[in-house]
Amino acid sequence: MWDQVGDALRLSMTKMLSQLASLLPGIVALLTALILAGLFAWAVAAILRRSLAGFDFDRRVAQWGFPGLAEWSPSSSPARLVTRAIAGIIIFIGFLIGISAFDGALPSQFVVRLFAYLPDLITAILVLFAGSIIARFLARSVLIGAVNMNLQYARLLSVGVKWLVTVLSVTIALERLGIGGGIIRLAFGILFGGIVLALALAVGLGSKELVSRSLEREASKTSVSNIKDPVGHL
Amino acid sequence: MDLDAISQPDLEQIERIGGADLVIGILGSEREHEGSTAIALTRDVLAKLSKPLRAMVVCSNGIHSPAAPRPELVGDDQPPVVLSCSLPAPDPGDTAQRSISNAYRTIFAVGGKLGARACGVITSRSPGLTPQWIYRLVQPVLDLGFDLVAPCYTRQKMEGLLNRSVLAPLHRALYGQKLQNPMGPDFGLSGKLLQKILVQDAARRPGSDRSVLASIASTAAFGDFQVCEAHLGVRAQHHTDWENLSSLLAEVLGAAFLEMEGRAAQWQSIRGAKPLPAFGQPGPLPEDTAIPVDINGIIESFQLGTKNLQDVWGLILPPTTLLELRRLSRLTGDRFRLSDHLWVRIVYDFALGHHLRIISRDHLLRSITPLYLGWIASYALETQTAALPEVDSRIERLSKAYEDNKSYLVSRWRWPDRFNP
Repeated sequence: MWDQVGDALRLSMTKMLSQLASLLPGIVALLTALILAGLFAWAVAAILRRSLAGFDFDRRVAQWGFPGLAEWSPSSSPARLVTRAIAGIIIFIGFLIGISAFDGALPSQFVVRLFAYLPDLITAILVLFAGSIIARFLARSVLIGAVNMNLQYARLLSVGVKWLVTVLSVTIALERLGIGGGIIRLAFGILFGGIVLALALAVGLGSKELVSRSLEREASKTSVSNIKDPVGHL
Repeated sequence: MDLDAISQPDLEQIERIGGADLVIGILGSEREHEGSTAIALTRDVLAKLSKPLRAMVVCSNGIHSPAAPRPELVGDDQPPVVLSCSLPAPDPGDTAQRSISNAYRTIFAVGGKLGARACGVITSRSPGLTPQWIYRLVQPVLDLGFDLVAPCYTRQKMEGLLNRSVLAPLHRALYGQKLQNPMGPDFGLSGKLLQKILVQDAARRPGSDRSVLASIASTAAFGDFQVCEAHLGVRAQHHTDWENLSSLLAEVLGAAFLEMEGRAAQWQSIRGAKPLPAFGQPGPLPEDTAIPVDINGIIESFQLGTKNLQDVWGLILPPTTLLELRRLSRLTGDRFRLSDHLWVRIVYDFALGHHLRIISRDHLLRSITPLYLGWIASYALETQTAALPEVDSRIERLSKAYEDNKSYLVSRWRWPDRFNP
């Protein structure tokens, strides 16, 4: 009987060790992939950091209208944020390559699905990035235009336009990622409609002054057309 | 520059006559009788000039003299020959400044084609266009050998403020010449300067935004060109479209800053400014019938800008300037003063921001509007009770401030990152 117990134990140990041994190449491959990806990420990050510093990226990011990005960045440096993000992506890709080296259906399926999702993810990131740039550009245009038209609610208009474009781009990005579905559409409709209504009310109420000024100007043009404008520019 | 804008009959006429001594461009004469008047005026002017001349009048009224005979060489006893052709109607999408610039290009192209010895362009609507205007612009070129005759107008103290506050003192500090109106818009040019501008314009890349109007005086400042001024009298004041003031500023300052950028290598070494000879006498100043300026309204516009545009200005102006602007926005009424030093540095920093493309150039140029209004309010308060000589000395002080602060501009232009007060 003891011989049989010993055989059973040997068998299970052999089975476990052989299974462990079958996993070992995968683990070594994963570790190798991670080390190589880490080295590659370090090299890319070093080159990128130097290039961005030469390009004066931190200052330019603020000029492009993203001064808030510095607050989100490590050491208040958007260049460092970008470098670390790129390095992280490279290491993650290395990890995926290592995972797929395991001989199993589950990791492979996971990697395949993740890669199938990547185009949507990239599109969503691009939409968000473009939306952010357009929102800031339009907000600045509206702000400067409204101030030059002497509108007291210039900042409100500018913020409204910025949120309109931002909400639109976030909704498109989420739709692209397949997150939320109907709820996102509904929420977008409510938010978009709310912002437009708020702006319409603000402009409608505030434009009384604009309309009255315009009417005054027209009236003064017709009634006292012989009065000269006091200021000439050229 | 090319002659594409000229109609076929006019082109044929230009080909036929081959050459002319003088080309006169009269813009803003849309009605036909004004065009005929312009031709008659030119004939009067030619009769006064010392040599017999052939002249081509380019009007913006659609008239031309078709089937004009090929002019023979004119003898001393023969009357001067005056031919005319028309400019095309301006593109409705073009702004006033761009239309003028395009018209200038066409007139210069006609002048270049005809090998004109002199070219005069009148854009202003004077209260009554007289032969004196044309004569004063072309006579120094034809009889005295000058290459550029720039205009001097008789103005009320609140007229020509963009010229007084930016264009003239900036031109003086950068290019070293004391011109009252470096961007005209009325000029007399020699054939030599005309050819230089034509060559320069042809060499620029297609689609370049450089304005011909802005480059006339700066081209004459560099090279072997003789520059003078001519007193033309009172110039009709265009009605100010306050709602679109920022468009005017963007267009005019944009042209001046582009010219400044294109000539950066040349103006950095210039120090001081020389006075230029002036011909004619300043005309009598008519009674000022304008309503008083609403200074408080203008100050409120400045304060609104200071409250809302800090983020935008923060990208262009150094912190010390922003601090001074915030302090200024708290002042009201008679205490409101924008110092020359501060204003000059604002203009220089905006020029630098334009050059470095810190933000969209259109945003940058439009965001200067409240600051310009601040300068107008300060100037109006300072000169409220001043007579014209005092106003002139006030502007002279401002011009000196531009010259004194030029080292600041040069330092920032050369080392925008290292030199940031």
